[in-house]
Amino acid sequence: MSVSGETRVGQGYVDALRERFPSTVLEEEWQTGDQVTVTVKLNALPEVVEWLYYNQGGWLSVLFGNDERQLNGNFAVYYVLSMEGIVKSWVVVRALVEPHAPEFPSVTPRVPAAVWGEREIRDMFGLTPVGLPDERRLVLPDDWPADLHPLRKDSMAYNQRPAPVGDTETYTFVNDATGSTRDVPLGPLHITSDEPGHFRLFVDGEDIVDADYRMFYVHRGMEKLAETRMGYDEVTFLSDRVCGICGFTHSVAYATSVENALGINVPPRAQAIRSVFLEVERLHSHLLNLGLASHFVGFDTGFMQFFRVREKAMTMAELLTGARKTYGMNLIGGVRRDIMKDERTRTLKMVGELRSEVKSLVDMLLETPHLRQRTQGVGLLDKKIARDFSPVGPLIRASGFKRDIRKDHAYAGYADLSFGVHTEEGCDVLSRVLIRVREFFDSLDMIEYLLGNLPAGPILVEGFAYTPHKFALGFAEAPRGEDIHWSMTGDNQKLYRWRCRAPTYANWPPLRYMLRGNTISDAPLIVASIDPCYSCTDRVTLVDVRKNKSTTVPYKEIERYGRERKDSPLK
Amino acid sequence: MNGPAHGSNLIVPRDANGMPVPLTESEEIAKLKGALLKDIQRSAYVYRVDCGGCNGCEIEIFAAITPVFDAERFGIKVVASPRHADILLFTGAVTRAMRMPALRAYQAAPDPKITVSYGACGCSGGIFHDLYCVWGGTDKVVPVDVYIPGCPPTPPATIYGFAMALGLLGQKLHASHHVEGEGERAVVAHPQVPLDIRVEIEREARRLAGYRSGKLIADEFMHVLTEESAAALSLDERVKRFLSGNDDPRKEEIITRLWDVSLQGATV
Amino acid sequence: MLKLFKIISDAGEATHKYPFAPYPVSPGFRGKPQLEANQCIACAACVIACPANALTMSTDTEANERNWELNLGRCIFCGRCEEVCPTKAIALTPEFELAVGNKADLLQKATFRLAHCVDCGTPFAPAKEVEYVMDLLVQSGIQVDDAQRAHLATCPECKRKQTVFRDDQSQHMSTEIEK
Repeated sequence: MSVSGETRVGQGYVDALRERFPSTVLEEEWQTGDQVTVTVKLNALPEVVEWLYYNQGGWLSVLFGNDERQLNGNFAVYYVLSMEGIVKSWVVVRALVEPHAPEFPSVTPRVPAAVWGEREIRDMFGLTPVGLPDERRLVLPDDWPADLHPLRKDSMAYNQRPAPVGDTETYTFVNDATGSTRDVPLGPLHITSDEPGHFRLFVDGEDIVDADYRMFYVHRGMEKLAETRMGYDEVTFLSDRVCGICGFTHSVAYATSVENALGINVPPRAQAIRSVFLEVERLHSHLLNLGLASHFVGFDTGFMQFFRVREKAMTMAELLTGARKTYGMNLIGGVRRDIMKDERTRTLKMVGELRSEVKSLVDMLLETPHLRQRTQGVGLLDKKIARDFSPVGPLIRASGFKRDIRKDHAYAGYADLSFGVHTEEGCDVLSRVLIRVREFFDSLDMIEYLLGNLPAGPILVEGFAYTPHKFALGFAEAPRGEDIHWSMTGDNQKLYRWRCRAPTYANWPPLRYMLRGNTISDAPLIVASIDPCYSCTDRVTLVDVRKNKSTTVPYKEIERYGRERKDSPLK
Repeated sequence: MNGPAHGSNLIVPRDANGMPVPLTESEEIAKLKGALLKDIQRSAYVYRVDCGGCNGCEIEIFAAITPVFDAERFGIKVVASPRHADILLFTGAVTRAMRMPALRAYQAAPDPKITVSYGACGCSGGIFHDLYCVWGGTDKVVPVDVYIPGCPPTPPATIYGFAMALGLLGQKLHASHHVEGEGERAVVAHPQVPLDIRVEIEREARRLAGYRSGKLIADEFMHVLTEESAAALSLDERVKRFLSGNDDPRKEEIITRLWDVSLQGATV
Repeated sequence: MLKLFKIISDAGEATHKYPFAPYPVSPGFRGKPQLEANQCIACAACVIACPANALTMSTDTEANERNWELNLGRCIFCGRCEEVCPTKAIALTPEFELAVGNKADLLQKATFRLAHCVDCGTPFAPAKEVEYVMDLLVQSGIQVDDAQRAHLATCPECKRKQTVFRDDQSQHMSTEIEK
């Protein structure tokens, strides 16, 4: 990753921006050779983001707020655009929001992908996105007091726990079933069935007309923790635990963000080792998904076999890092463990075994007549919807877009690896399965190549200069899609701000469009095809919009219906 | 809309500051548990309650029931409803949003039942133990019978935890308390190597090979430098002899580098 | 179908025998951290490095105690304690059978004595830490005599006073010298 200020990849975008929107750009600041942050006038924010997004080949990776009152007297909002046209770079559009007028013009009406980020800014900072129709909380639980915004520097201590304001759910689920947003009244329900209905499927008979879901049951408060109790070097261990399936990817993305911000040159051997661990993580995650896919189409023996074989990937991780999951291998400046000859030999042996065993299983899975019938044409992610919402990973690649951070913005050791980005045109569940299969075998090849070509030299660099208030992006391609982090260093060896965006965050918003037009029995398979963090869904509520009746059923029941296709839970 | 500010929908007991109080269990139920254990030793139904973990625990529990570890050998079966559960398995640090669902699951499971707190998050809140959106562990909301530490616990650790909960295996870990004895003294490693050289070797080894392999290799190297049995050889000869018996090119690279470092430091 | 049977039969007996046979963890597996208390100098490096606050240290000057505690319930098994310990007193073991019925069994404690300043008598550091520093000076080739020993066993406050006094004595300019 080039950190020199000499090369400025993406300067063209900034120049074009200045020309298109004269006297709008207030500041231009480069963080690395291909990351620039452009501060614009607040009222021009939506137009600028829209133009970069649709007219210049930009995709919205993440957007977030920052309480910069201590630095410049204002709040700030950041919209991070991954420019993926001919020139690949990062352009971050920033605008300042004055504290006495805590609102900013919403970008969502122009760029739908901004919806969750803006709702989150409202929750965390109390800044109102003017023009955003969705006024519900996103992240904070229902029992959280109003007007308490955790990420404001002066609102509360990170470990302050306000008394719950209530014990029941108050979230309203919305749907477009009749073309207008309408709350479906569900009435006072008995306590044991008033579950945090993660999904509300709006149905007409067996057909899904719309869906809404509520996430963030797992909101713990990590971003505030990173600013307070933890030093910046400990956050690598915290980021490991953002997600138990792709934790190491988060750790690399975080470490990279600080290394980019401070201009640290991570030794090549460390970069290569990071790539090895990243690909090992991809192996276990894709096998998990293939196992689940088997389960959902009723091929349960396949499910067990995929999981049996997956254990080899877990043992590989344990051998290389000391633990099957949550590797804890990153520090700022490098990694904590080297790969010696014995570990290399044993890992290569397991790679060979995995290759032959998974090949047999995949051949069988793809020959199952069930599979094509159940997955072809199901759960379509329309190209236009995809372009509007910026989803990532196999999901976007299955709709024909060649997006993969390992290629678009190479990091760790990927610039030296040759591999292809797999795409499909089917836009359906089957396409996603095929892509994951191909990526799995590519990962095996990459691990072999890396282990055979590890550079010499150290695995950790120390003694770098720590400068406060430097910021930059860090990113990595998790099995589900890109992880993107943004860090700003603070003046006490702690972070000033850490923003962590997991891939599923970008993939949930288009899910409701993928569910529409399918039947209830397809729902589990479609949800699994975006490979969300292993579902902690307890129950699903089916709302029949014609009969105006709702039924709450356990998620397992929907799964069973998906596999057996008889005895609908609606009857 | 969201966020009601009044207390009209309070269901769970609170303390004087309005903070929720963990549930407790009555003595009769505690007694019934002993009988339960005998009944379920052959077949135990487990219901998992995810209280806001990262899902690392989820997938290791998953792995424990797959063929390689096969917890079903012990009659452990995962069920889809708390109403059929003998054992409730709680993962996650109990986020605010999951407090009520966790309580509902607990209340839906018939008594007597056994509660297992899984993973560092379940046992104590783990790395999240004091965050604003987390209550800090299963026992902040319900009484717990067994704690299984780990981050995440491996499938064998999970099987051990269940076997222990079912009374099939004894508890191995106990509290310990060491009190400094008379004349207790920490030993300085490799005392014959001058301090500044030893420190430089150890630091360079860590930069080259990490904290684990680096330590092993540094120790091995310093042992070579100072071993009595090779006293007849010069330092140079000792290192060469050591390298000739090694078949790992990376290790050779590291030892060569450490040798350079120790020569640079040897100004005396 | 036949292919599936072949795969399953080739796999053979996939299930590990654990717990009826020991489970073979990989070398370098990160299990329970174990303190070798003899080697501990109670410096608290591990406490500062622990990301989960599983390691805590408290000092009780009245009772002349420095108390170290590891809460295995909070431990995330990252190995940072092992990485930063200057005397290699704590290391992760392959031990993973850590389930307990009583939460108090998760706590591992160690108590160490404090060193008292030879001058003012106030406790200022763990005794073992002071002794270890003396041993390190010896390793660096310095002859540690009684005066130096006393100097090391002095608290920072008194050390400052002594240094000022000594400098005052030695650098005093007298009018005689100017002549």
